[in-house]
Amino acid sequence: MAVVRYIAGRLVFLIPQIIGIVLVSFLLIKAVPGDPATLMLGPMATPHTIAELRAQLGLDKPLPVQFLIYVDKLAHGNLGTSWQTTQPVLDDLRTRFPATLELVTYGLLLALAIGIPLGVASALGKRGPLAKLGGFYGLVAGALPDFWLALILIYIFYSLLGWVASPIGRIDVTVTPPHMITGFYTLDSILTGNWAALRSSVHHLILPVLTLGLVNAGPILKMTQATMERMLEADFSLYGRLCGLPEKLVIRRAFRNALPSVITIVSVLYGFLIGGAVLIEIVFSWGGAGQYAVQGVLNSDFNPVLGFVIFSALFSLVVYLIVDLVYLAIDPRIRH
Amino acid sequence: MRAVPLTPLGRPATLAGRHPVGARAKFATRYFLRLLRTRPSYAVGYAIVAVVVLVAIAAPLISPYSPITADPTVYLQGPSLAHPFGTDNTGMDVLSRVIYAPRIDLTIAVIGTALSAIIGTFLGAWVGYFQGTSGIRNITSVTTMRAADVLQAFPVFVFAIALVAVFGQSTTTIIFAIAFVNIPIYLRLMRSQVLSIRQMRYVEAAFVSGMPDRWIVRDHIVPNAIGPVLAQLSVNIGWSILLTAGLSFVGAGVRAPTPEWGSMIATGFPNVMTGQWWPSAFPGLALAVTVYGFALIGTSIEFMADPRRRRTLAAAEMSA
Repeated sequence: MAVVRYIAGRLVFLIPQIIGIVLVSFLLIKAVPGDPATLMLGPMATPHTIAELRAQLGLDKPLPVQFLIYVDKLAHGNLGTSWQTTQPVLDDLRTRFPATLELVTYGLLLALAIGIPLGVASALGKRGPLAKLGGFYGLVAGALPDFWLALILIYIFYSLLGWVASPIGRIDVTVTPPHMITGFYTLDSILTGNWAALRSSVHHLILPVLTLGLVNAGPILKMTQATMERMLEADFSLYGRLCGLPEKLVIRRAFRNALPSVITIVSVLYGFLIGGAVLIEIVFSWGGAGQYAVQGVLNSDFNPVLGFVIFSALFSLVVYLIVDLVYLAIDPRIRH
Repeated sequence: MRAVPLTPLGRPATLAGRHPVGARAKFATRYFLRLLRTRPSYAVGYAIVAVVVLVAIAAPLISPYSPITADPTVYLQGPSLAHPFGTDNTGMDVLSRVIYAPRIDLTIAVIGTALSAIIGTFLGAWVGYFQGTSGIRNITSVTTMRAADVLQAFPVFVFAIALVAVFGQSTTTIIFAIAFVNIPIYLRLMRSQVLSIRQMRYVEAAFVSGMPDRWIVRDHIVPNAIGPVLAQLSVNIGWSILLTAGLSFVGAGVRAPTPEWGSMIATGFPNVMTGQWWPSAFPGLALAVTVYGFALIGTSIEFMADPRRRRTLAAAEMSA
C-alpha cells in the first residue's frame, strides 16, 4: 500500500508541473512571429478572409483567454489541429510518437549493450588498455555530431557497400505498414504475422539505431565505468574480498550496486532523446514526433509544437516515475 | 627532471618560494607542464583547441580561396591538389569554408557558454546559499528551482529552435538561445556545490565573526565551488558548438552562405547518398575533433581542480 501511496503522491505533483510546462510553451509559441492565418491562406488572401480565419481560430482574443481555451480543450483531449497536415494533432502524434519511441528504444538498447560491458570491462582493467579505450570512446562519442555520423554511416553502408535499405522512412515504399496496434512497426509486424513488413522495417531500422546506439553508448559507458570503480573500492567490496569471496562474486555484487546510477542515466537519456533524436529523424526522413515539432516551429504551426512538448514532458515524467519504482524494487535500503 | 627541494607543504623551496605571488604562479605553471607531460592525452586536447583558435584568427591568411565565392564551373569536385577538401554543390571550396567556420562557431559557443555560466553560477550560488532559510529569500530560491525544473523538462533542441524563431535568426539570437538552455546546468551544479560547502567550518567561522552574507559568498563559497564549474565550462563549449551545428543543420541557425560546420553538413546532405561525401564529411570531422579537444581540456581541468588527484600526481612525479 505504501507503494500505491507513493505513486499517488507523485501523480499529484504531475499536474502542476504539466500546467507549468504548458504555460511556458504556450507563451513561447505565441511569441514566435508569423500569423498562422496568413500562412494558411497564402499570399493571395484578402484582409477580410484573413480576419475571418483569425476569428475562427480564436486568434483575436486576448492571450489569457486563448490560454484558458487551450487548457480547456486539453482537458478534453483536444490538442488542436495542425494546419500543415490538416489533421488533429492527437492523431498525428499517435502515429509519430511511437515512431520516435521505437527508434529511441532500440537505439538505447544497443547503447546499453555496448556501454555496460565496455564500462564494466574498463573498470575492471583499471589503468590497462581497455580502460584507456573506454575513456577514449566516451569522449569521442560525446564529440561526434550524431547527424554527421548518420551521414557517414549512410555513405559507407548504403552508397559504398549497398548492405542496407535506402535510408528513407521506416519501411520500404513498396511494402504496406502493418496494422497498427502499438505503433511500433516491428512489434506490430510480429503480432500480425506480417513477415515482409518485419523484414523491411528492421532493415530500415539498422542504420538509425546504429547511429543512436554508438553515440549514446558514450555517457552510459562513462557512468558505468565511474560507478563500478567506486563500488569495487567501496567498503563492502573490501569486506567481501577479506571474507574470501571469489572475485567474480564481488564484481557481481558491485555491479548490482552500480545499477541505480546506470538506470538514472538511461532515464535521462530516454527523456532527452525523444526530442534529441530530431536530427536523426530528419536525416532518415523518419516521420517522428521531433521532426513534426521542428517543422511546426519553423512554419509557425503552433499546435504540433505544443502537443509534442506536452507528450514529451508527460513521457519524461512517467519514465522518472517508473525509474523510481525500479529503484524501490532493486534497492532494499529505500524500502525501509 | 632534476630533483627540486620541497618545503613541508610541497612548494618548491627556491628563491621564488619566498615571494607569495611569484611562488604561486611559478608553481602553477610547473604543475601544469608536469600534468601535460604525464598525461599526454590532455596535451593533445590543449593542442587541438590552440590550433583551432589560431586557424580561426589567421583564416584570411591561410585559406586558399574566399569562403563565400562560388565558382559554378568547379562544383562537386572531389578532393584534389587544387581543392584539398573538394568543392561543394555551389562550387565553393570546402577547405576554405572549413577554415573560416570556427570564427562563427567558436564565437557563438564561447560567448553563449560564458553568459550562461555567469548567470547560472550567480543564481546557483544565491539559491544554494539561501536555501532552507526563512523568508522571502527562501521563497525566491524555491521558485527559481521549480522554474529551472520546468525549463529543463523542455526538449532542448525544440526549445532552442523556438527561441531562435521568436527573436529572429541572427548570430546574437543564437548566442542568446544557447545561453538560455545552458543556464539550468550551471544553476544546479553551483547550487549543489554551495550546499555542501556552506556546511564547512570556515564558512561557519566567517558567519560567526560577523561577515556579511555577500562577502562570505564572494570570498569563501564561490572560489571553492568554482572547480567543477570550470570543468563543465569547457565541455559545455564543445556541446554548444554541436548545438549550433545542429541548429544550422535544421535551418534555424547561421544563414547561408556564412561558413559554419553544421550548415555545411546540411548543404552536402543530399549529395551523400549519390556518393559525394566530401562536402559533409570534412566539416563534420573538423567539428568532432574540435569538440573532442574541448572535452579533453574539461577532463584535465576536472583533474587539476580535485585536490586529491593533484596530490597523487605530485607523489607519482616525485617517485619517478
